Amino acid sequence: MKVSLFEQVPYRYLPAGFEDRYSSVVTTPYFDLVEPERMQESLQSGYAEMLHAARAGFDGVCVTEHSQSTYDISPNPNLMAAAVAYGTRAEGLDTAITVLGRSLGKSREPLKVAEEYALLDNISGGRLIAGFPVGLSYDANQNGAIPAIETRERYNEHRELILKAWAEPEPFAWNGRFEKYGQVNLWPRPIQQPHPPIWIPGSGSPGTLVDILRRDYAFVYLSWSGPKLVGRQVFDRYWEFAEKQGRDRNPYRLAFLQVVAVSETDASAEKEYAPHLEAHYRAGLGTVPVSGFAVPGYAEPVGIEHMIRNPGDLGMLAKMRNITYKEIVDTQVAIVGSPATVADQIEEMVRDFRIGNLLVMLQNGSMPRELTEKNISLFAEQVLPRLRPIWDEEGWENHWWPRGAEARSAVAVSGAAAGGEAR
Amino acid sequence: MSTGTAEVRDEVVEVCDGRISLHVKVAGEGPPVVFFHPLPGLEWQPLLDRLAEQHTVYAPEHPGTTPGDPQAIREVHTMWELLLAYEEAFRALGLDRPSVVGMSFGGMVAADLASSFPQALSRLVLMSPIGLWRDDAPIRLVEMITGPPEELPRYLFKYPESEAARALMALPDDPDQVPTAIAQGAWNVGCTTKFAWPIADHGLARRLHRIAVPTLVLWGRDDALVPAVYAEEFARRIEGSHVEVVDDCGHAMQGDQPEQTFSLVTDFLR
Repeated sequence: MKVSLFEQVPYRYLPAGFEDRYSSVVTTPYFDLVEPERMQESLQSGYAEMLHAARAGFDGVCVTEHSQSTYDISPNPNLMAAAVAYGTRAEGLDTAITVLGRSLGKSREPLKVAEEYALLDNISGGRLIAGFPVGLSYDANQNGAIPAIETRERYNEHRELILKAWAEPEPFAWNGRFEKYGQVNLWPRPIQQPHPPIWIPGSGSPGTLVDILRRDYAFVYLSWSGPKLVGRQVFDRYWEFAEKQGRDRNPYRLAFLQVVAVSETDASAEKEYAPHLEAHYRAGLGTVPVSGFAVPGYAEPVGIEHMIRNPGDLGMLAKMRNITYKEIVDTQVAIVGSPATVADQIEEMVRDFRIGNLLVMLQNGSMPRELTEKNISLFAEQVLPRLRPIWDEEGWENHWWPRGAEARSAVAVSGAAAGGEAR
Repeated sequence: MSTGTAEVRDEVVEVCDGRISLHVKVAGEGPPVVFFHPLPGLEWQPLLDRLAEQHTVYAPEHPGTTPGDPQAIREVHTMWELLLAYEEAFRALGLDRPSVVGMSFGGMVAADLASSFPQALSRLVLMSPIGLWRDDAPIRLVEMITGPPEELPRYLFKYPESEAARALMALPDDPDQVPTAIAQGAWNVGCTTKFAWPIADHGLARRLHRIAVPTLVLWGRDDALVPAVYAEEFARRIEGSHVEVVDDCGHAMQGDQPEQTFSLVTDFLR
């Protein structure tokens, strides 16, 4: 089992009642809401927490891309990833770095994505996991102004171009529908040839799952909708499709994001984290307008009709704006409690769904740095050691883990086995 | 297709070297009029019944908006290819210099077709078309499409509660058909906004002077989507064109002032 810290970079000081007045994306008024010093502090805390997690023994850190949003101020995640890549290397930490990633449906310069990822792989010494997301509709189509109906076509072309640009030895011409280049010849190339491990986040639509399995990439399910409500159908479908595609049941084919908040006891966890979690969901995902997930043309008509006829597929997403702490924990939108409570719930879910790569989100909305670092430390010291060996007895190899980060995991595993210390 | 008065039939013409089967609704008898629909797709509406009383109406469905053939939109890559597809369709249908009426998005298509192929038509009616841009009069297309659905009527109508407006916005009576209709409607908007997103400016302002046929430019004075200042922007670039700005009327003129709008269009085409 590999466990990475998933870090988004929100502005941590949104006013109370934000969700009654604003949308969290595209139209949120910056100067009305932001104090410059607090923005700096919010952003710097995110970088510090990632390094804290690397030092505490996490297998990896993971960042995402969103423009014009309050909940993840990360217009280019490769900027953060570069800082973390160099910072960890300087400290001798070979933590994996997952960029989940530059949106290829939104990008107008796909070769920049190829170059940036290749650079990261070099700076980090081969520790990059390359995420290839399509991009959320509001980000690709509103912020990026891509006609919604072209999002997927651009994604497909850009991914193909990047893969070729990483591995093709000779300069080549690219006459695409969206991109035309006379001589493509990247410097540098990724250390991991022909390409770093590729992770593809998605909502679990059949077309995406088949594409991932056919190409032997890893599927990342970034769901904030509550695994109890939506996990069963998405993961069962994935493993069923894997069998149909002739793929094995290697759990490392699957990565899953889970929000976690851990404290000394169940009671102290609720006391410390409940207000932050409620505020985070209400003001973050809760205020992304419905159209933000599907500007007309982004989703195929059969997909939209299916969504309208099966509102349960959205899990808690539809009611995030008014979500309560009780609903958050009952549906496991977040797993909250003592180390034992948290480890029990995660282990059950991980085994049930066959998750080999776990992403845990330990900072949410208004959570301050001290509390976040406590969450990270407690998780690393008391939860991580219980999760690491989960798949060991089945003996699978993680083909979706970067080669430059393999040594670290061995150290971490032996450390955990020896004394319960992550490092 | 259910209609008010006219019998409507479906004609299919192959265009773009057979890559697209373009569906065209046809009704009435008389000199031909081609109608280009607005963003949400072709809705057979009272204006078309009225036109069909004296004309043969040809109303093409924008590629991808025909139910059951959503992927046809993939075969039209650019605005230029869309215009070529329609010019081919005119010839395939045997239309010799028809009159052309375009509404909103369809108005942009009609104006660009007339600019690109000035010999292909005989008369032109532009009903509150998109296609130009002024920074001091932004067209709120993105805001309308990404905004809350309940605010949509306010962009389109001055009187969203009127019978005509409600009829134009109506969903199917059968509840089981509603999800299908919503999904189709959203896809249709995806297919049309492909050529209008986020700003529907393909350089039309630099081509409009080529239009060489009698042209009527119609606008609602209270248009909340495409401000009425654009009426003059079109008119001053099209030599000899005539402008009518209708009072007490929003963007969807056929909803706010149906009788006056119908008369202006039919009188001009008579």
